[in-house]
Amino acid sequence: MGDKIIEVRDLVKVYDPDVRAVDKISFDVNRGEIFGFLGPNGAGKTTTIKVLTTLIRKTSGTAIVDGMNADHEPAKIRQIIGYAAQEVGIDDDLTGRENLRLQCALYHVHKSEAETRIAELLKTIDLEDAADRRAGTYSGGMRKRLDLAMALVPRPKLLFLDEPTTGLDPQNRSAVWEYIRKLNKQGMTIFLTTQYMEEADRLADRLSIIDHGKIMAEGTPASLKASIGADVVTLSFKENGNPNPKAAAKDALGRLGRIREIQEVDGGIAIYAQDAPALVPQIVLALNDAHLEIAELTLTHPTLDDVFMKYTGRKMRAEEVTPKGRTPWGARRRRAM
Amino acid sequence: MTAGEFVSEVNAIASRWIKKTLRRPPFLFFSLVQPIVWFVLFTQAFSSISNIRTPIGGGRFLTFADITGTSSYLTFFSAAVIIQTVLASAMQSGVGFVTDMESGFLDKLKVAPIRRSSILLGKLMSDGARILLQTFVILVLAFILGVGIATGVLGLVLLFGIALAFGIAWSGISTFIALATKNSESTLMISLLTTFPLLFLSTAVMPKPLLPDWVQSVAGYNPISYIADGLHGLIITPGLDWSVVGLAFLIIAAVGFVTLSATTTMFRRAVSA
Repeated sequence: MGDKIIEVRDLVKVYDPDVRAVDKISFDVNRGEIFGFLGPNGAGKTTTIKVLTTLIRKTSGTAIVDGMNADHEPAKIRQIIGYAAQEVGIDDDLTGRENLRLQCALYHVHKSEAETRIAELLKTIDLEDAADRRAGTYSGGMRKRLDLAMALVPRPKLLFLDEPTTGLDPQNRSAVWEYIRKLNKQGMTIFLTTQYMEEADRLADRLSIIDHGKIMAEGTPASLKASIGADVVTLSFKENGNPNPKAAAKDALGRLGRIREIQEVDGGIAIYAQDAPALVPQIVLALNDAHLEIAELTLTHPTLDDVFMKYTGRKMRAEEVTPKGRTPWGARRRRAM
Repeated sequence: MTAGEFVSEVNAIASRWIKKTLRRPPFLFFSLVQPIVWFVLFTQAFSSISNIRTPIGGGRFLTFADITGTSSYLTFFSAAVIIQTVLASAMQSGVGFVTDMESGFLDKLKVAPIRRSSILLGKLMSDGARILLQTFVILVLAFILGVGIATGVLGLVLLFGIALAFGIAWSGISTFIALATKNSESTLMISLLTTFPLLFLSTAVMPKPLLPDWVQSVAGYNPISYIADGLHGLIITPGLDWSVVGLAFLIIAAVGFVTLSATTTMFRRAVSA
């Protein structure tokens, strides 16, 4: 077996009538890593996960999971994966413990072992106190944690997490991050999707940026940020009689080496340069010599937001989803693609 | 995958549904309150039905007892209560699949390393168990009100058998509708729209000779009539008439074959891709 646990080549999924949810993507996931899919709603994240978890069939291309082809050996793939969907799939009429017991039965965990495993999982996700209450009474965060525990019942080699923290408050979010890191340390490979830059940055060893069904960029968070190539210094000026401070500043700074680009932006200028912190004193001196007074100076390292903007030309906005409680009787939920 | 694993999967899925059912208030309502209401209201309001005398010419009459074999409308009507309860119960079976699709629980079952057929079989088995329980409750009620089973223990067993088979066959209809529409309102609406006409255009609530001509001809094509005749035979007529009971089972088998094949096809489509 190779060191790739997932190999995807030219994967295409077209939904009826003509929605190309995933448009010819290729990527690999290495054994033992946390791999992230970062993109907005509707980018094709869930569709990709559903193909890999054998829930839907792809239109074309290949998807190999742990050496097994998703088209030909879906039943074998199901034996080594765990999956927590974006929409929490727990039974509200059963207690947390009963949900886990059912999951144990579905994964053929032997009865003698099931109770210990359930106790362990309940402890991991801090649900011991609520374990014998019906899941319908749980808060959004508790539901998401129980759902994560459900996915862990089979002790999967490969864990799929579709937006594991969407709709969670910051505390629950960092708790989930903590679990994910812990699981990964124990050797579990994790494939996660997210629409939060911070989450991708903090968790993923490597990630792909996906938009409109296409992978726009791929790499470690650090290498992606480095691909922006520069820190950003933004400046604005005080009124001091100079009719065109921006042009004067560009002129003054143009003589400094090591600046890659100066851009006029609303209210001031943006300076792109590597190792900008070391350059700031020279910038300040040069502007002083040119009789320009600085009103505001900010220095930022590139973020994944900048990366997303660079590769897609758009600002990414994570849509906050309210935590989902119990669906009202008969109400229909929209399924994400 | 071993046979033992298959049994435990089906069992786990069936137990889940049974637990869910018992924990939901509508179940208690439909299984207990509604049969009581039916028994009390209908048999009180229609008790004089048993006094109806049907002229047969020459100034002679047939009494209700001559036609049905019992002078108590309550006894006659208990078959209708069983049918109504089983119909209502079976017609809701499909809703469970819709909620599982909406909540994402079906996806959870689909990624588990189980046979896909366990999902459907476990559900149908839980439907069967629920229907047996509901039939039991009705029979206890009927017994308290003084209704006896004329055909004894064997008749009682056959009665449960009819209720069970009938319930599963009809669960197939609602499951089919649920899988086809993926919508619980439509499933419940179609169920409500079909239950009452099926019941009242049959021999369940009124013996055939007392029905208007057009209803009589419709009732002849209504499978519920044959099930009602079977139940009436078991409850009212001493001495087992196998032809009536056998016909009831035959009709159920035919209906069940159609509904369950359609459901299986629909289910396969729902779980694959």
